[in-house]
Amino acid sequence: MPIDIAIVGYAQSPSWERSELTEVQFLFPVIAEAIAMAGIDRRDIDFTCAGSCDYLSGQTFAFVSNLEAVGAWPPISESHVEMDGAWAMYEAWVALQHGDIDLALAFGSGKSSPGDPMQIYPLQMDPYTLTPLGADPTSLAALQARALLDSGRITEREMAEVAARNRRDAVANPYAQISGEEDVDALLASPYVTAPMRDHDLPPFSDGACAVILATADRARALSDNPVWIRGIDHRIEIHQPGMRDLRESPSTAAAGKGAGVADGPVDLAELSVAYTHQERILTDALGLGAGVKVNLSGGPLTANPMMATGLSRVAEAARAIQRGDGRRAVAHATSGQPLQQNLVCVLEGER
Amino acid sequence: MADIPITTHVIEFPYTRTLGPVIGPFLTGLRDGQILGIRSVDGRVLVPPTEWDPETGMPLDPAGLVPVGPGGVVETWAWVTRPTAKHPLAHPFAFALVRLDGADTALMHAVDAGSIESMATGMRVTAKFRDERHGHITDVVFVPEERA
Amino acid sequence: MSEQPVVAASDSEQPVVMMDYFMHLEYREVVCPIVRRYADALMDGKILGQISPTSGLVYVPPRSYCPVSCEWLGEDHLVELEDHGVVTNFTIVTPVQYYGQEETEPFAKASVLLDGPGGMLGLQDILDLPVDELRVGMRVEAVWLPPEERTKDEIGNRSWGSVDGAIRGWRPTGEPDVPAEQFLDKVY
Repeated sequence: MPIDIAIVGYAQSPSWERSELTEVQFLFPVIAEAIAMAGIDRRDIDFTCAGSCDYLSGQTFAFVSNLEAVGAWPPISESHVEMDGAWAMYEAWVALQHGDIDLALAFGSGKSSPGDPMQIYPLQMDPYTLTPLGADPTSLAALQARALLDSGRITEREMAEVAARNRRDAVANPYAQISGEEDVDALLASPYVTAPMRDHDLPPFSDGACAVILATADRARALSDNPVWIRGIDHRIEIHQPGMRDLRESPSTAAAGKGAGVADGPVDLAELSVAYTHQERILTDALGLGAGVKVNLSGGPLTANPMMATGLSRVAEAARAIQRGDGRRAVAHATSGQPLQQNLVCVLEGER
Repeated sequence: MADIPITTHVIEFPYTRTLGPVIGPFLTGLRDGQILGIRSVDGRVLVPPTEWDPETGMPLDPAGLVPVGPGGVVETWAWVTRPTAKHPLAHPFAFALVRLDGADTALMHAVDAGSIESMATGMRVTAKFRDERHGHITDVVFVPEERA
Repeated sequence: MSEQPVVAASDSEQPVVMMDYFMHLEYREVVCPIVRRYADALMDGKILGQISPTSGLVYVPPRSYCPVSCEWLGEDHLVELEDHGVVTNFTIVTPVQYYGQEETEPFAKASVLLDGPGGMLGLQDILDLPVDELRVGMRVEAVWLPPEERTKDEIGNRSWGSVDGAIRGWRPTGEPDVPAEQFLDKVY
């Protein structure tokens, strides 16, 4: 059985359409804030893992520069994943399982504004058959949305309702980039960007960062009277070629949810990486989340989408919601690859 | 933000990739005006062909490469109103998952349909090969069958 | 506009065994506030750095933080640096003619430790000197472009150490060399 690990600190930057700061500069206060919340000295951290993508800002070894925000002198034990920070947290969780260390820092950061994600992301696709077509995330999400619409499991109105609800919830979120009251009929009257996707069905591509501090059980109790426990965490991946999957389902999310123990208790709230409105239906179905589960109270990725930190932000937002008293047991979900090719599910529980 | 200086820079890499025993014949086929799939372990025909069985991870035998298409059915589609510089067509087009005749999986590719009104789930499309072909996925584009 | 393969039409008798893909991405980035201050000063013939009160380290260009002491640095930590110093390290590059390489002859890139408060500029050009005469400990001074020829266009967030557009390079002063023992902790 895995040993108990808790989140004792977390912090996020706002999501910016275009930050004037460098990635290290906006990461710097986020890491400092997470460390301060945990009540530790940065030199107490035994292991650090980061998630980022150099292609976003187009700066080679940007992931090495990012360590300047951590304080890597004297030398530290660290690692990096070219993935969302949620996978960095997974690696940190695995490192803590060995039992020889008790504090870890995981963070994710991305500065997507200098480049065009619509032209960068095709480079993560199959280099023979998909990259040369410029297979972009919006088009791949649109293929998935159409398949779901055709199946009758969702309507364009329901998709717009997801967007409107997310934007309304984001009003209270200081980190959100997009928020406000929306009229669903007005949203539906807007033109298609990439049919069947309208502007409100698509996420912003934000600049931003998120960091969490993990601790083993004894250390967590010594540091905090209200730690948020990671009760389960798992991630699974599917076939890459979109035409070899049933895009209407997410068996990798379902498998990760089973591995993380989502169904082992009642779920009060969920922070899901719903970057495209239709994906809320796919993900809640895959995780078996009923109508009583509050989904993306933060507004979710449709209102704040810091590339490479969006998934880890779900963990931070879920932890915040638990500590705020919105619920006791939460599901956080991160995704990687297009559309929903790889999925990570984490079950969080409050102390009380 | 108008007065704030902005720097620009360009990254370029001229990649040259080896293709191997399955993708090589697939792209050779495109150059020669034919689309190939490959038989999976359970006998299904996969398009595009893969070197490994997606269900079991077993290597697939290039002897199992079989012609598919050129016609097929649109399983799902997306209408690209504003193509990016990386897209295969400079004017509005559809991306579609096309299940080619004789195939059990769908190929993602572009459908040059002219207008969104010409697109529908379940419609038939067919491969239209470019006159000049290089052994590249963009050697082909799909068009509505009634227009071929 | 689609990106067609750069390969010429294949011999139709031969199987296709290779595939070319030309990757091209463009980036546009806002210059961060502290580097904007640095660039403005360069136009006035001044090199600005930031000094960390805790570690004592000097950063040029300024970067708004000290990665060693992990503290945020602000306007109060700006310091004007000298435009002369000593070569603490160098490399001579013999250009391989890969895609995008514009150099054809061997060239040197040197690290210059500025006098006074300090500050290290990396990857600097040394002017008026055959590459095989370059040596560690050599004293150099900045060769500024005339004010009317200076431009901020080359100065961005990712060019830590860049004086491009304001300083053409560094030339030997002819002063006696500085013994290497004096900067063994600053050889990068």
